[in-house]
Amino acid sequence: MRKAILLAALLTLDAAAQAQLPGLRRRAPVPAQPVLQGIDALRAEFAAQSGGTTVYFGAENVGLTVPARTVLTAQAAWLRRHPEVVVRVEGYGDSGDTRDHALAVGARRAEEARSYLVLMGVPAAQLSVTSWGKERPGLGRAVTVLVR
Amino acid sequence: MKRLIPIVLLGFATAAGAQSAMPAVTVIAVPPLTSPDSGDRGNEMLALGWQVTQLIETDLRQTAELMPLRPNRDDYYSYPEVTAPTFSKWRSAGAKALVTGFVQSRSDGRLTVGCYVYDVHKGRELARKGFIVGSGDWRRAAHKCSGLAYTAITGAPGMFDTKIAYVAESGVGDGRMRRIAVMDSDGYNHRYVTDGGAMVLTPDLAPKGSQIAFVSFADGKPNVRLLDLESGRERPLMSSDAISFAPRFSPDGSRIAFSMMTGPNSDIYMVGSGGGPAQRLTTSPGVDTGPSFSPDGSRIVFESDRGGSQQLYVMNADGSGQRRISFGGGWYGAPEWSPDGEWIAFTRRGQDGRRIGIVKSDGTGERTLTNGPGDEGASWAASSRELIFQRIGAGGRSTLYRVTLDGSEPRQMTIPQDGSDPDWSGVLD
Repeated sequence: MRKAILLAALLTLDAAAQAQLPGLRRRAPVPAQPVLQGIDALRAEFAAQSGGTTVYFGAENVGLTVPARTVLTAQAAWLRRHPEVVVRVEGYGDSGDTRDHALAVGARRAEEARSYLVLMGVPAAQLSVTSWGKERPGLGRAVTVLVR
Repeated sequence: MKRLIPIVLLGFATAAGAQSAMPAVTVIAVPPLTSPDSGDRGNEMLALGWQVTQLIETDLRQTAELMPLRPNRDDYYSYPEVTAPTFSKWRSAGAKALVTGFVQSRSDGRLTVGCYVYDVHKGRELARKGFIVGSGDWRRAAHKCSGLAYTAITGAPGMFDTKIAYVAESGVGDGRMRRIAVMDSDGYNHRYVTDGGAMVLTPDLAPKGSQIAFVSFADGKPNVRLLDLESGRERPLMSSDAISFAPRFSPDGSRIAFSMMTGPNSDIYMVGSGGGPAQRLTTSPGVDTGPSFSPDGSRIVFESDRGGSQQLYVMNADGSGQRRISFGGGWYGAPEWSPDGEWIAFTRRGQDGRRIGIVKSDGTGERTLTNGPGDEGASWAASSRELIFQRIGAGGRSTLYRVTLDGSEPRQMTIPQDGSDPDWSGVLD
């Protein structure tokens, strides 16, 4: 029983992780590429076909840059082809900001990205927004569009 | 059972005024509290009285204005001396004031803690008050007695019988757990009031400490929620699922000001703390947030980037008369009006980090209180002479500090884990 669970878990591990488990690797040959199914496969396809899931803003800025519009336009095209997929637009504030202001800036960035996606023809019902403010360090100034 | 009546002698008003004009520290004697009880019960009360005495000393030692003489347990103090102190004895000990009293057991199992404050030089009483508490609540009676002495000598409310709420943080990265914790202002009775299942931010205690408004990510986006500390019941402030944050109770606890997103616009709204429709107070495009009421509830200070950068503004509580009050350069946020109405504390962001400062509500008298670079989110003590704030240190860990307005160094508070977003309550009933 225990062995069966380990084998199933291995199917989702990447090559580096398998190298740490040589004893198991012999018994369970694994594909070179991880097999993605369901939501993970959709996320990977979304990221690959729209040039990324993250768009960056200038410091203290909530306006969309040209590279950001390019990514969002590609995201919109993908979302129009997948009307069954719901996404959440997550905005981030600047880490040096005060807490409430960072929440508001994150929400504004998320809303800018959401509005642009709607402008590009994505039905509003497919989209929701949230803000992480400065609470997720390392992702400042970004809006990530996730397939949910 | 007789309850002692609080008395503040009128003659003291001038002395208090002179005191606050001078930065001099008042030396105060704190002899052991005595007891009118006899026998075993008397010994028990004397032992409790000694604990109360030590806590009063600890409370007063934390202030910038009072310096307690170290109490001596062998310094036997008779019950008649409570109401008729030997002033010459305390004068020769160097004290200018005296706080003393007694602990008496009651037939219902509770305690009466009698508290008396004297001006030793003038040889007269400044204040007296009796506190009836359950036997497990002697700490509160001691804090009340400390507050009576502090107020009688400085003229400012004592901040000893107050609570502090903050966000306790543990773990690392995205798995970092954040729970709202509430403790007495001296760190005792520490408890967690949210379970850590959802990320939480910015707790704000209702004036009497019975409720907490805070921001929760339980629904995947920031929303203001209200938690009743007695019943443990929690509910969203608004039924709408718009992003909302930055909640702040009015001084009487009847209203809550907060920020809500409508499209790309963050505006300030007000709603009754019991529910009802929200009233929109600001309409400018951009980020209006961080509301805080004046002590009479008639005005609100907030931050806005309507002028191009984040600055402080004051408006009437109905949204009228909005005007900017910060002009010192840099960005100003997280304003907090002092309980005495004199000051507005803020967090100022510059190229070299964040610092805590204060400014009068008309924009004059700005002072910087801390050196940063990772300071944020100041909240006033009930005395209006001290602030609690969070500081992110060199290692990236967040801790709580207290700083007084007299220019002394901030002092780190002892809490079990990392902490952020501190909020200091008013004096409890």
